[in-house]
Amino acid sequence: MTNERIVLSVEGLRKHFEIRKGIFRRVVGTVKAVDDISFKISHGETLSLVGESGCGKTTTSRCILRAIRPTAGAIKFNTSDNHNVDVAGLKRSELRPLRRQMQMIFQDPYSSLNPRMTIAEIIGEPLLVNGVGDLAARRRRVAELLDLVQLPQAYMNRFPHAFSGGQRQRIGIARALALNPALIVADEPVSALDVSVQAQIINLLLELQDRLGLSYLFVAHDLSVVKHVSHRVAVMYVGRIVELMPTDALFRTPRHPYTEALLSAVPVPDPRKRAKRIVLAGEVADPSRVPSGCAFHPRCRYAVERCKQEIPELRPVAGEGMVACHRANELALAGVGTDG
Amino acid sequence: MAEPILSVRDLKTYFRPDEGIVRAVDGASFDLYPGRTLGIVGESGCGKSVTARSILRIVDRPGKVEGGTMLLRRGDGRVVDLASIDEASSEMRDIRGGEIGYVFQEPMSSLSVFYTIGNQVIEAIRRHRKVSTKEARDRAIELLQLVGIPRAEQRIDSYSFELSGGLRQRVMIALALAAEPRILIADEPTTALDVTTQAQILELIRKIQVERDLAVVLITHDMGVIAEMADTVSVMYLGKVVESGSVDTIFHAPRHPYTQALLRSIPSVLAEPRSRLATIVGSIPHPYARPPGCPFHPRCQDAIPGTCDKNPPPATALDAEHEVRCFLCCEPAEISA
Repeated sequence: MTNERIVLSVEGLRKHFEIRKGIFRRVVGTVKAVDDISFKISHGETLSLVGESGCGKTTTSRCILRAIRPTAGAIKFNTSDNHNVDVAGLKRSELRPLRRQMQMIFQDPYSSLNPRMTIAEIIGEPLLVNGVGDLAARRRRVAELLDLVQLPQAYMNRFPHAFSGGQRQRIGIARALALNPALIVADEPVSALDVSVQAQIINLLLELQDRLGLSYLFVAHDLSVVKHVSHRVAVMYVGRIVELMPTDALFRTPRHPYTEALLSAVPVPDPRKRAKRIVLAGEVADPSRVPSGCAFHPRCRYAVERCKQEIPELRPVAGEGMVACHRANELALAGVGTDG
Repeated sequence: MAEPILSVRDLKTYFRPDEGIVRAVDGASFDLYPGRTLGIVGESGCGKSVTARSILRIVDRPGKVEGGTMLLRRGDGRVVDLASIDEASSEMRDIRGGEIGYVFQEPMSSLSVFYTIGNQVIEAIRRHRKVSTKEARDRAIELLQLVGIPRAEQRIDSYSFELSGGLRQRVMIALALAAEPRILIADEPTTALDVTTQAQILELIRKIQVERDLAVVLITHDMGVIAEMADTVSVMYLGKVVESGSVDTIFHAPRHPYTQALLRSIPSVLAEPRSRLATIVGSIPHPYARPPGCPFHPRCQDAIPGTCDKNPPPATALDAEHEVRCFLCCEPAEISA
C-alpha cells in the first residue's frame, strides 16, 4: 500500500502551444493545453488523470516523461537514491539516467511493438540500451520478466504478430518493467482491448503494483476502469484539475459539477438502474478560447454570476481532497453508489 | 406483439480468402419490431458488424451472404428476402438508406470531405424522395435541427472536418434518417466519442426512435450501453448468437457461461475501488482457428469433455424470448445424441 514517500511532485505545470499564422509565423493565439496543475504521487500509489478529449491529460503525462518540454512549472522526481530532481528543466543528456526510473505503457499494443524484433529483443532492449549485464544476464532477466507478466518463457523467440492484443500488452508491460522503474505512466493501457482481456490486464497491473511497490500515473477516459485501479483520481477539464479526491469519495460524493455530470453519463451495466442522466449541453470548451472565469460555467447547471468572472482555485475541502468550484461548499451533488 | 419488420433466420456470412474460410456469421437469428431496440453485443471477431453489413448487403469481398433468410416487410406491405436479392439491384439500393438507415462508428471516414454536410444530406434526401433542391435543402436544415446541430442554417454549409466528433456523429444520424427509414442500424455509434457526448447521442437516438417508431439495431461491445438502450439482446461469440433474451433476462438471469463470464469481467463504476475483476481465461481464438463444437468451450470452466468440444450445441428455448446455445441448458437426451 501507499506510504508517505513522494515519488513525483508536479507543481504549477503549464504547457502552452502557440498558434502561428501567415508568412511571418506571427503568434495569433495560444492553446493552454495544460494550465497550472499540481499533484503528488506517493510510493505504491495510483493516481488517475481522467477527463474528456482535449482536457490535457495526455499532454500532462508527456510533460512528465519529458517527451515534450513544459512551458512552466516543476516536475520533481524522487530518484532511487532519494534525490529530488526537477525534470522540467533538464537537458536531454541529463534526462537519460532518470528515464530508467520512469517508464511508459502505451495504449495500442499493435503499433507499440516493433514487428521485426523477437519478444526477447523487445523486452531486453531497455537493458541493452542502458548497458545492463551481458547477453546471458539479459536473457535471464527477460525470462524473469515474462514470468512476472504471466507469459510462458518459451515465447521469447517469437515475433509480436503471433500474439493477441492482451498478450502484446503484457509484453509492453514487461518491457516497461525491465529496468525496475519507480513510476509507470500508463496512457489508456486497456482501452484498445476486448472486455474479457481488459479484466486480465487490470488485474495484472494491480498485482504488479502490490509485488513491486510501483507508482502509477494512470491516464484514462473510462471511469469504470479508473475505479478499479486508482487510489486517488484527478478530474481535468480544459487544462486544469477541477477535482482531486480519493477514489471512493470521488465516486460516492463528487464535489465538482463536472465530475457529477461525468459520473451520471457513464452507462451502468444494469438495465434496472437506468439512471436519470444529467445530459450536459454543448461541447467541451476549445482550449484556444477558454471561457472566462470557470471554464465549465457555460455548461454548468449550478453556475452563478461569480463563475463567469473569477477562475476558481483548487482548494482543500472538508474531509479529504481538493476541488476548484466557487460553490463547492453549498452544493450537494449526486454520485454513484457502490454495490455491496 | 406486432409483426416483425425484419426477421433474420440462420444467417450465414462467410469470408473465403485464399487461406481458408472464416465463418464470420454462422447461423444468426433475430427479429426487429417497430419502436424496439435490439442490442447485439460481443467482443472483436464475434461477427456483430458483419451481421449489420449483411443486412445492408454491403459485405466486403471476399465475404458473402451464403445462407439463411432475412425477410423485410417493406412499407408497401411486400415481403422481400434480403439474403437472396442482388446486392447491386435498384431495389436493394432503395432499401439501403430508404428502408434501413445506418450509422457507423467512424463519422470521419463515413462522411466525404469534398462536399459540405448539406450537400450530402440533400443528396440522401433526393436519392429516395422526389423533391426540388430547394425543398430538399429546407428538409436538410430541419433534419440537422432535429439531431441537435446548433445554428443548422449556417452549419449546413460546413465541411465534416470543421465539426467536432459529436457533431459529425449527429450529421451521420441526420443522413441515416434523411429518407425516413423504418429501421436504424447503429454500429458502435458512440465508441469514438467522449462519455458526455455519448450520453447526448444515445438520448438523441432514443428520442427519434419514439417520435418515428423506429426499429433500432444497436451494435456495441459496451454492456453499459446495452443495459441503457436495448429491449432485447443477442450475445454473439465467434459468429454464433450464444444467447438471446430480454435485456433484464440477459443481465439478471443469463444462462450461457460466456454471457455470465462477460458480465462478471466488466469494470463497473459501482464496484469497490481497486477490486480485482473476474476474468475469462485465454483470449479470443484467431478466425482461421475456430474451435470445433461449442466455440466457447476452450475458455469455458463448465465445459463437458467429449461433448462441448465435439458437437455444436443446439438452441434451447427457455421461454418465449430467451434462447441459449449451451449443452448445460439442454435436456440430457439431446446431449447423448
